[in-house]
Amino acid sequence: MLDLIKCEFMKLKRKKFIPFVFLSAFLFPIPITFLMATPRMLERYPNKTVLFDGLFNMVMGYGVIFLLPCIIGVIAAMLFFMERDNDTFKNLRTIPITSTQLIMAKIIVLFAFGIIFCLASMFATVICGSFSMEIHGIAYKLLVAIELGIFITAGTLPIIVLVVFFSKTYIFSILLCVFYSVASLTVETLFGTLPKWLCWLLPIPMTTLWGAGDMVKHGFPLNVTALEKIIPSTFQTVLILGLMAVISIYLIDFLYKKRGE
Amino acid sequence: MSKYVIETKNLTKQYGTQKSVADLNIHVQQGRIYGLLGRNGAGKTTTMKMLLGLTQPTSGEVAIWGKPLRTNEKKLLPRIGSLIESPGFYPNLTATENLRIFATLRGVPNRNAIKNALDLVGLPYKDKKLFSQYSLGMKQRLAIALAIMHDPELLILDEPINGLDPIGIAEVRSFIRDLCTERGKTILISSHILSEIALLADDIGIIDHGALLEEESLAELEAKSSRHIRFTVSSTTQAARILERGFHETQFTIQDDYKMRLHNLDISVGEIVTAFVENGLTVSEAYICEESLEDYFKRVTGGEGIA
Repeated sequence: MLDLIKCEFMKLKRKKFIPFVFLSAFLFPIPITFLMATPRMLERYPNKTVLFDGLFNMVMGYGVIFLLPCIIGVIAAMLFFMERDNDTFKNLRTIPITSTQLIMAKIIVLFAFGIIFCLASMFATVICGSFSMEIHGIAYKLLVAIELGIFITAGTLPIIVLVVFFSKTYIFSILLCVFYSVASLTVETLFGTLPKWLCWLLPIPMTTLWGAGDMVKHGFPLNVTALEKIIPSTFQTVLILGLMAVISIYLIDFLYKKRGE
Repeated sequence: MSKYVIETKNLTKQYGTQKSVADLNIHVQQGRIYGLLGRNGAGKTTTMKMLLGLTQPTSGEVAIWGKPLRTNEKKLLPRIGSLIESPGFYPNLTATENLRIFATLRGVPNRNAIKNALDLVGLPYKDKKLFSQYSLGMKQRLAIALAIMHDPELLILDEPINGLDPIGIAEVRSFIRDLCTERGKTILISSHILSEIALLADDIGIIDHGALLEEESLAELEAKSSRHIRFTVSSTTQAARILERGFHETQFTIQDDYKMRLHNLDISVGEIVTAFVENGLTVSEAYICEESLEDYFKRVTGGEGIA
């Protein structure tokens, strides 16, 4: 399996989108840093330490939550269409590598990119924040970044099922993922009005709720009083997202096998 | 242990109501080149895909080295090298990088395997040219390099000379022959080009509309198709005796009790018929047959022939 994963990374060599993943990690931290420097924001946060927490929360809570599903969608389209577009599946099958092994390797690569992107976003936030804020609590922020990378990737897998099901162009896959991100953010604005079960059934909004609750527990200055009843615990989040991921992987494998026949 | 490296039993592949391959029984012997000859769409590629587990047969069995492929893929496939249809590689990688991926996945222990394979097909090692910039001939060579890189015992090559220039065809033909004669590989090769199969194969299977029409050695097929005199007489045993004693002739083959072929056309047909009749034989047919290998294939494939 390790060789398969290594080879999946090798296959992405010279793909122009990969450097963009790292560059896009700076897409939100830079403007949000400027936003945090506005008088209105400075009034809300009492000191530079709390201001950095606010910056981190906004980058992770909005930027990463919006951008990562799109990035995962594009990389998934690249990985899952690669064998079909280049007619290489026959070479792999005769090694022999089963479609399940291949799917598992590709899914692990997606999780790796999810974590890498979140870590890159976190480092971008630290770099941007270091100019005007006081950096602190790096260990916790590192952990949250890794957790968010795993959770958001798992939460994007249901949409990857559709990407594989439709097996259309890259543009279609990107549009599908952008729509998913926008829909998730829209749901997040309706948190107070939506029932708990619906918020927990939608993976990205559920991850946002978990993230907010976890940050509050670690002293972040967030007002989540109205959402207290719908914030899931880490166990509940892992259980629900894990279940969704398992079902999605099963469906992706089923569809991929069917396409390969 | 099986006598054959590849043996199929009533192998059938059906798409809807149409049979792409029907009750195919092929037998590939150890250390020989087996040429699967057929027109485009005859069922060659489907057959090869079934031999590699890429397509599941509707019915029938594939046995490789005497073991059923379906339950022994993990053991059997690593011993096989293959080239099926068009070459499939990653366009953003170089030839060496492409081969490295497959060598890693195959767990090829020989560090020089990639270099050796590329050398064998005449492609440069560690070249910066990407696969997407390759010509069709270079792509085909790379596909052959992939097939042989892990030093397999059996090679299944589907139209390996596709897209190659005449010099390339000669080179590929030569090293396929060498792989068989010098390194003892068993090779199954498909083609729609009769001359190619005739130059390369030891055994030939003629496939048409999914059915195997003939399966014989090249020597047998050539004998069948060469110029000869055909006789239908009341007793071939007696006729053979007359040819041996009266004409000192041994270049004949007896097909059954009544039919025989004389391969020496220097003897007068009239003289032989007279001798047969004088010795009490009834001669119902006697004619010179001048069928070329291509004429023969045309006949067995129902008159359409093969390029």
